Amino acid sequence: MKSFFESKGFRELLRIVLAVTIGLALGFIITLFVSKDPVGAYKSFLLGPISRLNRIGDWLEESLTLILLGLVICIVFGASQWYIGVEGQMVLGAMAAGCVALYVPIPPLPRILLAFLAAMIVGALWGLIPALLKAYYNANELVTSLMMNTVALKIFEYILKAFIMTPKSRSISSELIEKPFRLPTFIPNLPFLQGIREIWMKQTSVTIMVYIVIAAVIIVYYLLYKTPFGYELRTVGLNTKFAHYGGINVKRTIIMSILVSGLVAGLAGAHLTLAIHNKIISNMTSGLGFEGINIAILAGNNPLGVPIAGLLYGYLRAGSDVMERSSDVSRELVFVIQAMVLLLVTAERLLPTIQKRVADIKENSENGTNGKPDVKNVKEGDSHVA
Amino acid sequence: MKPIVEMKNIVKIYDNGVVANNGVNFTVNKGEIHALVGENGAGKSTLMKILYGIEQPTEGEIIIDGQSVSFKSSLDAIDHKIGMVHQNFMLVPSFTVAANVVLGNEPIKNGFIDKDQVLKVTKELSDQFGLFVQPDAIVDGINVGQRQRVEILKTLYRKAEILILDEPTAVLTPQETQDLFKAIRTLVQQGKTVIFITHKLREVKEISDRVTVMRHGKMIGTVDTKDVTREQMANMMVGREVFLNITKPPMKRGEKRMEIKNLSYISETGRPVLQDVSFNLYAGEILGIAGVEGNGQTELVEVLTGLKRSAGGQAFVKGKSVLDHTPREVRQQGVAHIPEDRLTNGVALKESIEENLIVDRYFSAPYKKGMMLDYRLIENKGKELIKQFGILTPNGKLPVESLSGGNMQKVIVAREFSSNPFVLIASQPTRGIDVGATEFIREELVRLRTAGCAVLLVSADLSEVMSLSDRIVTLYEGRITGVFPDAAKVGEDELGLYMLGIKHQTNEEMEKFL
Ligand SMILES: Nc1ncnc2c1ncn2[C@@H]1O[C@H](COP(=O)(O)OP(=O)(O)OP(=O)(O)O)[C@@H](O)[C@H]1O
Ligand SMILES: [Mg+2]
Repeated sequence: MKSFFESKGFRELLRIVLAVTIGLALGFIITLFVSKDPVGAYKSFLLGPISRLNRIGDWLEESLTLILLGLVICIVFGASQWYIGVEGQMVLGAMAAGCVALYVPIPPLPRILLAFLAAMIVGALWGLIPALLKAYYNANELVTSLMMNTVALKIFEYILKAFIMTPKSRSISSELIEKPFRLPTFIPNLPFLQGIREIWMKQTSVTIMVYIVIAAVIIVYYLLYKTPFGYELRTVGLNTKFAHYGGINVKRTIIMSILVSGLVAGLAGAHLTLAIHNKIISNMTSGLGFEGINIAILAGNNPLGVPIAGLLYGYLRAGSDVMERSSDVSRELVFVIQAMVLLLVTAERLLPTIQKRVADIKENSENGTNGKPDVKNVKEGDSHVA
Repeated sequence: MKPIVEMKNIVKIYDNGVVANNGVNFTVNKGEIHALVGENGAGKSTLMKILYGIEQPTEGEIIIDGQSVSFKSSLDAIDHKIGMVHQNFMLVPSFTVAANVVLGNEPIKNGFIDKDQVLKVTKELSDQFGLFVQPDAIVDGINVGQRQRVEILKTLYRKAEILILDEPTAVLTPQETQDLFKAIRTLVQQGKTVIFITHKLREVKEISDRVTVMRHGKMIGTVDTKDVTREQMANMMVGREVFLNITKPPMKRGEKRMEIKNLSYISETGRPVLQDVSFNLYAGEILGIAGVEGNGQTELVEVLTGLKRSAGGQAFVKGKSVLDHTPREVRQQGVAHIPEDRLTNGVALKESIEENLIVDRYFSAPYKKGMMLDYRLIENKGKELIKQFGILTPNGKLPVESLSGGNMQKVIVAREFSSNPFVLIASQPTRGIDVGATEFIREELVRLRTAGCAVLLVSADLSEVMSLSDRIVTLYEGRITGVFPDAAKVGEDELGLYMLGIKHQTNEEMEKFL
């Protein structure tokens, strides 16, 4: 039996932790050069996000969005579709959720449910054009989805300015969604949790979206690794010709992968309006859509790794906010750290090579008798006739 | 003769725990042609990858030309004048032949690649060693035989003195094999040393000076080729007696299972590849297609299995049309398919063995249970097939890419044979497979046929077609040139005349046997 410490999951985790540590160390060296108070700046960066309750809340909320976006990319990249239309799907999803929450005159519970549904459907449908173009005309989905992003953002701003903005509002935004139609806080209203709940609610607004995101992670994992659709998707992603030869409907799988990812992207959009901003505002997504790619890379494209990657990445982002506000170091430094971390993680060969080098050195010094890996022998005397 | 390569006590344990080489001692003399044989997964490719620096040995010593070396990568090996042509080629398809030959070490003039010089050196090398290529052709458009010559030229351009060829003949036609052998002899005359992996013992006899046999990662022995027979070699490889010729029970021909009428196919470039091909396939028979490679066999199989669209004609299974239907629809009529190009069509290299084994059946019970796939069942079925077909792996969850070449082929064969086919279309079913496994696959083919399956067999190995088939059809330039209702009664030379289009049967002659 393999112990946890030899398992692939552990190695993966080790790799990420190592990458982050090295990235942070390099970041600190740079800070030494650019800041008058490097220690203070770095402290605000590293500890800022957890120094106050409201900051913890902000960190968690942004991480939830990032986790959903990471899932989106796990799905499309799993099918080897270089589809990056998440931004567009998310922004229109946010718009749909907002419109339902603001204007559909039905009671709170069905209204919230309908808002989610609308966001997800809009998100999925917005992927349809690049998906069809790819499946039937082999149009490069990277290009088409990028273009669709621009279109979506323009449509969003147009609807916002032409129909939703009221003359008296001071910013480019809708009115606030009324309290009963927002998502409730994630701490259940139980007697023994009353105290915590109140303190928490005063400071932050982390909502029941936490549970929805956890459910989404599990569902996407099961979808990709335990269902026929997931099998088709991964097989198409690994070798399209083999999938076709084996009888898988490649076109349908490509289309479905983008549509399903759109459901999740729409969900992320709903999260923006119903939980974070509580209204529709201009420039709502601000490039968040592309961060999903980084999350998925960090997570090695595995849905179960996405929450960790999302929290980690969200932490770096939150820390950079704090640092920028409370020191003379700008957030660009954090981009450098992020880039370092991603590079180190993607350099997949790095860790195995290091391990090997270390093993070599060890072996030489011990004269090569110990430290040999466990040998699980190939079946001996295996013959070809059953 | 003095040894130029000495590998001592080589042990290789892969990350997943597989012991691929277990204390191997291997010596090659300067100027010889040295054959390396052994069953699939015996560790031949691994040993050669170690010599070429792509894999590092877990233990052991390598001595080149009397000097102890340790290769960190293939660059180090190239520095020691070692070159390797892999089982799977590694050329850049969009580059020209010449550009591929000089890749990574281009002649430079004024800071730019000297295009004329590139063409010139390629031409010179090609002439010097009798390896004919067209320096300015794009690699994508040339056939396997030519690609292989490009690979060899590439190593020669890097001044290789020791050439490793990993199963070079597995992908070649008999004629191309002869050309390759001529080139190898030229190389050796000019002082080079050649190490040559193959599963075809006839070739070992024909070309090599000495032969080394491996089994289960161990060295069995090295002998002078002239001192051993093919049977003895097979015996050393497998550890038991192998029957190079198979016996099959008499044919009991049943009902018509597949009917192909006036089939034609036009290539993307507009060339008519298949013209007016008609024949029937019956239960309980093996129908062999004999032809020189490139005469339409590949396309015939791909059109019949739904991978390519026809340009006219009809094909029926159980009376239902299957032409220009999707591969899924064709498979649902009970047609199984062993594809010619196993790495592109036959497997997904990065997917697990288990999952590769279910691509044609995952969507139905018992694999699909409710909305989910039953992975416990998939694992168990995988185990069964791995055992039944002798696929050499510690674990069905490993990706197919961790298998040796021949074991990848067994994954495909296991899947297609176990689908309980109504019609089996097998293209090069034993390509790259060792003698023991070849015997097994041939026996299985015959067993399926005797149990009533209709088998269409396409193979570049004429002796395979002749020994397995009940009936043979010859194909030349996309047309049927002859049909031989009793395969046992036709000679190789006779078939050759029809395969080369020198002789034709008339339509009337053929009609009653097709
Ligand atoms: N990259 C790898 N990772 C893990 N195991 C491997 C890897 N490559 C090969 N193996 C295993 O090592 C063993 C030897 O493989 P190798 O490719 O050397 O065999 P081979 O003699 O060349 O066989 P074939 O005739 O089928 O090409 C096999 O059991 C194979 O599964
Ligand atoms: Mg091999």
